[in-house]
Amino acid sequence: MFLSRSLHKPFSATTSSYLSSMASHHLHHHHQNGDTTHSPPSKKLKPTPITPSELLAEFSHHHPSTARINNGSFGSCPASIIAAQRRYQLQYLQQPDDFYFNRLKPSILKTRSIIKDLINADHVDEISVVDNATTAAAIVLQHITWSFFESKFNKGDTAVMLHYAYGAVKKSVQAYVTRAGGEVIEVKLPFPLKSNDEIITEFKKALEKAKSNGRKIRLAVIDHVTSMPCVVIPVKELVKICRDEGVDRIFVDAAHAIGCTEVDMQDIGADFYTSNLHKWFFCPPSVAFLYCRKTDKVADLHHPVVSHEYGNGLAVESAWIGTRDYSAQLVLPEVMDFLSRFEGGIDGIRKRNHERVVEMGDMLAEAWGTHLGSPPEMCASLAMVGMPACLGISSDSDALKLRTHLREYFGVEVPIYYRAPNDGEFNPITGYARISHQVYNTTEDYYKFRDAVNKLVNDAFTCALLSD
Amino acid sequence: MGEPHEDSHLNGDSKKPKLSSFITEPQLREEFAHHQPLVARINNGSFGSCPASIIAAQRRWQLKFLQQPDDFFFNHLQSRILHSRTLIKHLINADDVDEVSIVDNATTAAAIVLQHVGWAFAEGRFQKGDVVVMLHCAFQAVKKSIEAYVTRAGGSVIVVQLPFPLSSAEEIVVAFKKGLARGKANGRKVRLAIIDHITSMPCVVIPVRELVRICREEGVDQVFVDAAHAIGSVHVDVKDIGADFYVSNLHKWFFCPPSVAFLHCRKSPTIPDLHHPVVSHEYGNGLAIESAWIGTRDYSSQLVVPEVLDFIDRFEGGIEGIRKRNHDAVVQMAEMLAKAWGTNLGSPPDMCPSMAMVGLPASLGISSDTDASKLRTHLRDHFGVEVPLHYQAPKENEVEAENGDRDSLITGYARISHQVYNTVDDYLKFRDAINQLVQDMFTCNMLLQQ
Repeated sequence: MFLSRSLHKPFSATTSSYLSSMASHHLHHHHQNGDTTHSPPSKKLKPTPITPSELLAEFSHHHPSTARINNGSFGSCPASIIAAQRRYQLQYLQQPDDFYFNRLKPSILKTRSIIKDLINADHVDEISVVDNATTAAAIVLQHITWSFFESKFNKGDTAVMLHYAYGAVKKSVQAYVTRAGGEVIEVKLPFPLKSNDEIITEFKKALEKAKSNGRKIRLAVIDHVTSMPCVVIPVKELVKICRDEGVDRIFVDAAHAIGCTEVDMQDIGADFYTSNLHKWFFCPPSVAFLYCRKTDKVADLHHPVVSHEYGNGLAVESAWIGTRDYSAQLVLPEVMDFLSRFEGGIDGIRKRNHERVVEMGDMLAEAWGTHLGSPPEMCASLAMVGMPACLGISSDSDALKLRTHLREYFGVEVPIYYRAPNDGEFNPITGYARISHQVYNTTEDYYKFRDAVNKLVNDAFTCALLSD
Repeated sequence: MGEPHEDSHLNGDSKKPKLSSFITEPQLREEFAHHQPLVARINNGSFGSCPASIIAAQRRWQLKFLQQPDDFFFNHLQSRILHSRTLIKHLINADDVDEVSIVDNATTAAAIVLQHVGWAFAEGRFQKGDVVVMLHCAFQAVKKSIEAYVTRAGGSVIVVQLPFPLSSAEEIVVAFKKGLARGKANGRKVRLAIIDHITSMPCVVIPVRELVRICREEGVDQVFVDAAHAIGSVHVDVKDIGADFYVSNLHKWFFCPPSVAFLHCRKSPTIPDLHHPVVSHEYGNGLAIESAWIGTRDYSSQLVVPEVLDFIDRFEGGIEGIRKRNHDAVVQMAEMLAKAWGTNLGSPPDMCPSMAMVGLPASLGISSDTDASKLRTHLRDHFGVEVPLHYQAPKENEVEAENGDRDSLITGYARISHQVYNTVDDYLKFRDAINQLVQDMFTCNMLLQQ
């Protein structure tokens, strides 16, 4: 008499998969109720608020003598999440076939469900999990290539993107849109900025140009939080303008957004939206989501690494792109637990980070006699702080060399942006530091930076002194 | 950071005098102590394996990134990836390190090569109806990739049927020549031939060198060898094989953690640049440089190649010794199983790498792919045996089994693997499980739907 799979499981590998699937049923049920605190009723203890010493311990792997004020570039991951990731990695190594057949897909589905609730998406089908925003961009843009090639688009149809779009995304647009015959229009944005109106005005101008001579705007690529220089873009307004102007599809590159601004798919209204969970959402490197709004006009997106699941929908395709380590994609439940230990959860973290980074930005600007690159309401958990003009930052290369100098001689990690001066500007500020604030940062980090720059100024340092 | 591995490994000399002794039995067991103890793990072919000391090395790299990611990105990552590429270049006898790119896995490499074919159709270098040739037993993911990039772009696909079971490599050569002729029929141009070095299911070693030579003679534009299993299980010399593109996974038979593979692209004036589909800052700087940065992610599995070479050096004869012993053991175990069950191997031993196809008793009634899959699950869940099964549909006028009884036609084969952690007990456990099923008059149609 042969028993079905679900009844008799004599081996521990499969027994524990049953337990975890039972737990995931509860978790999934909870998330469908819109409850993001994540605990199955009467099974888990209420999360204890994290103490300062526990917080220190969570980030004790960070290099101790570095003032790490660049969470924006590579993010950060608490020790308890790293430990959770290791457990998943080990489970796979212990019995990879069992992991592949019995655990991986349900775990990724769990992750997608959590994300769906986090970002107020309608349906879990709209959520795909990918490595990073760079991958998401390739997915959206490769679809554009096919549309040109399959004659759904005409040669010369346009794509609009911000001048401050991320470098990798610009290359991707070149590789997939320009190469396929599309024309790219860039939105020139001023910096420094005083208000959203400046962005909206320039955006409207660019759309006009892109529509001129009867061309069709097939895609608008809009950053939610630009990388360099870093400002929060009024995406909701820009999406609405795109809809009014008949733009086919809107892709929001929100690499920084989740964990550092509000992210609400219904509110923003874009067709495609991607954000990295390893930047501001405490996941290990690397994991991101790509949201694809369900519409009547089916956008046939595919993961470029084609595997067995080709044709089964982007989310399912992305959940298996060959043998690799998917563990970074599986720790969302543990991250939700971590967040619940902070007052106000992720919203509380976000608000406090924003307040602190603005406070520190103001402190630095005052100490150096400079200014912030945008008003506080256009800062997320990052701020652009003007650097003293006397440092003589006169090129991208200068900015990078100065950054290296700060790392090697002062133990300060902070990216620097070079801003070309306008004609007639007197003693212009041409360098801005992009400071970040995350839960592990302390005031000392920013004092260290302040003092480093003050010393450089006192020593009459200029970038011209740095060798190549 | 010092480079302690450089000299010994760049000389390509695995017979250097040993300063330390070889790995001992207890050390070997410890290296694989994380493997699920109750499971007879005879499927190294699917997901590979990674020793504990390599996992530890990988963790060190992961931690280094987490400690100070900016410093890691600016000062360490590129040079470490270049180091891995250089070691691989020597391993595979490539001419130039520029030819060696590191990617996640063979699936990614296939996407890179095939996307390049897609562009060629889109940009008019290839004409609608130009042909891509593939083997019928090509890996499913590669078949889908061909659909996604070739068929969709207007190319025609010719599928070459290979016989199985087989008695010699010559049968493959004959079948391939026939298939290629079909591809060229009506004056069509064959733009790409995709040839497995070691097929996945059913698993045999393909005479790639000969097939590449035939392709050149027959005017095939480019040849892509999907050698996912090859490195660490057969000899890999890319110059000798002579393909345009050659990919192999290092996490299958070369002890790397999941996941890492190399894609070798022979330098050629006529082949336009390949690109990684995930485009980032390095776009246009060559595939190897592009692949070394595809956005923020964990590159640590790509960085442990030096440590893996050290690990391999602890075995007598290095990777050649491991390969040979794996092959001998898997053939020996396969013959033991075939004898115990009254079946046969699916190919002669010289066409087996570190894996072998062993016929399963006909009485089990494996009559579809689904049956094979369900029986595999049953073996895992009820006997603690992990082994993939292949359903081989009988031919129309199938030659009958030795005892002349049609009912004893073998339609199922198990693909057994042997890697350094396997013991005879693993295969005895499998033998006994099947014997138990046969004794209990089990047939696949008794299993419920999955």
